[in-house]
Amino acid sequence: MSYLIKDIEVTQPFPTISLSENNTGLALILRRKDRPIGFVMQALPEKSVLTSDELTQIITKEVGKKILEESLKEELKVKTANLADFPSLTVAICTKDRPDNLTRCLNSLLKLQEKFYFEILVVDNAPSDQRTQDVVAALPTVRYVREPKPGLDFARNLAISTATGEILAYIDDDVVVDRQWLDGLKEAWAENPDASAFTGLILPFELNTEAQILFELAGGFRRGFEKIRYGQVLPGNELYPCGSGIFGAGCNMAFCRDMLIKLGGFDEALDTGAPLPGGGDLDIFYRVIRAGYVLVYEPRYLIYHQHRRETAKLRHQYWTWGLGLMAFIIKSYQSDLPQRKNLRRLILWWFQYEFDRLKQSIKGKHPLPISMLLAELWGGIVGLWGEYPRSVKRIEQIRRQYS
Amino acid sequence: MSWKIVHIDLSQDIPALLSDNNIHVVFWWRHIPLAHTEILATQLPMPATQVTNLAASAITPTVGTYVLKQNLLEDTPIDFEALVGSTHPLTKLEYISQQHNNKTVSIVICTRNRPEQLARCLQSLQNLSQPSHEIIVVDNAPIDDATMQVAKMSGVKYVKEPRPGLSIARNTGIRHSTGEIIAFTDDDVVVHPDWIMRLQQAFDDPKVMSVTGLVLPGELETEAQVMFEKHLGFFNFGYQPKTYDSDFFQSTKVFGAPVWRIGAGANMAILRQAVNLVGEFDERLGAGAAGCSEDSEFWYRLLAAGWICRYYPASVVYHYHRGSVDSLKQQMYCYMRGHVAALLVQYEKYNDQGNLRRLFRTMPKWYIKSFIKGLIKEYKFSTFFAEIAGCFSGIIYYIINYKSPQPPLIRGAKNRLLSPPY
Repeated sequence: MSYLIKDIEVTQPFPTISLSENNTGLALILRRKDRPIGFVMQALPEKSVLTSDELTQIITKEVGKKILEESLKEELKVKTANLADFPSLTVAICTKDRPDNLTRCLNSLLKLQEKFYFEILVVDNAPSDQRTQDVVAALPTVRYVREPKPGLDFARNLAISTATGEILAYIDDDVVVDRQWLDGLKEAWAENPDASAFTGLILPFELNTEAQILFELAGGFRRGFEKIRYGQVLPGNELYPCGSGIFGAGCNMAFCRDMLIKLGGFDEALDTGAPLPGGGDLDIFYRVIRAGYVLVYEPRYLIYHQHRRETAKLRHQYWTWGLGLMAFIIKSYQSDLPQRKNLRRLILWWFQYEFDRLKQSIKGKHPLPISMLLAELWGGIVGLWGEYPRSVKRIEQIRRQYS
Repeated sequence: MSWKIVHIDLSQDIPALLSDNNIHVVFWWRHIPLAHTEILATQLPMPATQVTNLAASAITPTVGTYVLKQNLLEDTPIDFEALVGSTHPLTKLEYISQQHNNKTVSIVICTRNRPEQLARCLQSLQNLSQPSHEIIVVDNAPIDDATMQVAKMSGVKYVKEPRPGLSIARNTGIRHSTGEIIAFTDDDVVVHPDWIMRLQQAFDDPKVMSVTGLVLPGELETEAQVMFEKHLGFFNFGYQPKTYDSDFFQSTKVFGAPVWRIGAGANMAILRQAVNLVGEFDERLGAGAAGCSEDSEFWYRLLAAGWICRYYPASVVYHYHRGSVDSLKQQMYCYMRGHVAALLVQYEKYNDQGNLRRLFRTMPKWYIKSFIKGLIKEYKFSTFFAEIAGCFSGIIYYIINYKSPQPPLIRGAKNRLLSPPY
């Protein structure tokens, strides 16, 4: 079971696409003049052949309006900051015992680094062996630091103090950056030189297993193909900025390093790995907005994420997301008094949302199976039930242990 | 809270937005309005790049309609080649509908005791990019000669019509005009320089008998003006050109053809020929009589006879909505009264059951629903009861005036009323 992923440039004649006998569907990454403008998934019988006419139909339906929008945008005159003034950049990859993933990720970055120099910093988080260090040692333009304290946000915080760039971009080791990734970040900055945080589009690296397809069908990490500038209000969203999942995800985000220092960095009690492996990205996005900074979402700032291959791991991931969200809410509830009312409403909203999805799933109208949704729900309940305070205590212990 | 209205010409450098008020932004490409969007005071200041992104996404459907002649919002197949091949779609907007026709245009403004507003309207007519054949002010049942003074001052044709009623005044205006096209506007508007040129362009098919245009708000200072513009939406029928023909009429007839969507009397033009074909405005309808809907009932007759009405929003006027909630209530009362009377008149003339269905089924259902919704969701009933009262009053008005004289049909028109025009 797998979906064929195809890059389609809409300004060029379309190819005929033939699916192999293993393919159960097709995913199209649609671009116009190389900018990503849309993504569409379609289940198809194996070995089916899509003519360019059939492709045209699918594509027009998906991005017809968007193509025109992009085309007329080229005619609009707006002053942006000069790209030559783009600040210095550090790209940090926090990794733990996954040298193969890291190599793949670094290779995609090095291609961009050849054209525009930026610092690449690998933060090796409590490694159990030398392999990560060996990978980096072979690459002269990549820096290596080790964070012995286990926990993703320990590693992210070490990156803040080690990096030299004014902008600090984080990517996970299980991603590959798109050829437009850096230009996307630069463009987002040029259009919003006052912004302090950037998030980007995340598309699937592969769709080779049922779990990967499921996750992407349920929306994946995608946050759309429109540029969004997030400020202090979002019309139509009363819970803003509490539902901070809308901003993006931790595997593709960038910040002004000075701002991160002012905010006190990432919350090390989140993203600790088991038993609280998540919520750190939600927390930092939320704090960025609450401190009055601007966050920009840019679709051209694109990476490909390798989703969990095994169904059991995906289920665990859903559990993690429920847990991470609630841990973040409980934390914010304690630290951000003016938003308490909204945070309470967010909890209610979330349970209602999960129950709605469960209902749909029972009726067979939701791509996710009941078990995944229950896992997420259960994660949420555990998160509400004091996981964050427990994690704070555990973190204290780790700090003492390594000091 | 009052709204600031900002017009942005996207062919120029796009500005950042800064204000203490909410902003109602209208996006234009040179002289063609493409969309509006609402920006709340809490979103400000807004940098130019964000304004640009909002603009691009807001104007795309309209640009699609003009340039590709396709409605991107509906589920119609789009010509992909044209879509991808369309470079500089905005520049292409300048070449839409360049064909001029030579039909002469008479402008008719019906007014009643509002000389100051009339003066402002006449002032704006001085700046037309394409001068009209004549301007006629119809002074409807005036209490003094102030209106006459204003008309004389600006050198336009002045006609006094002592019998009150907008339909009567419009008909008087038609009789005194000599142009092939008669363009109507109200005294409480200011017109865009291209108003007449665009109206005229839209008569591009011999079957087009009436053209309406866009009515933008002149100001949104008071609560009533904001409510009128944003919640009631009687004036702004969007930025995409639309064609109303017999297909539209036949397919909606059973529910009561929604002819009121075609446009507003504050920005409407008709061919003189249309009056010969389907008669004048019904004098039982319109402000001063039933309340309104003399325009839509006229379109109803045109569509029933197989002619075409066009909505062409490149033709723009700015309307100054009523300032106070009380006068808004009064207006809503009149609107519903006129609307109901028009449904009955349409039924009387064409026996289309849809009109009754709308009056006795759709509308009561809608009002009951919104009443219940209002009870639950704290809806402001500011105009609700006025509207209901207007509906009942409309029925009574129709019954009382049933036998009053019909508008004189011009000779030879009656037998052509129902025959297909082609």
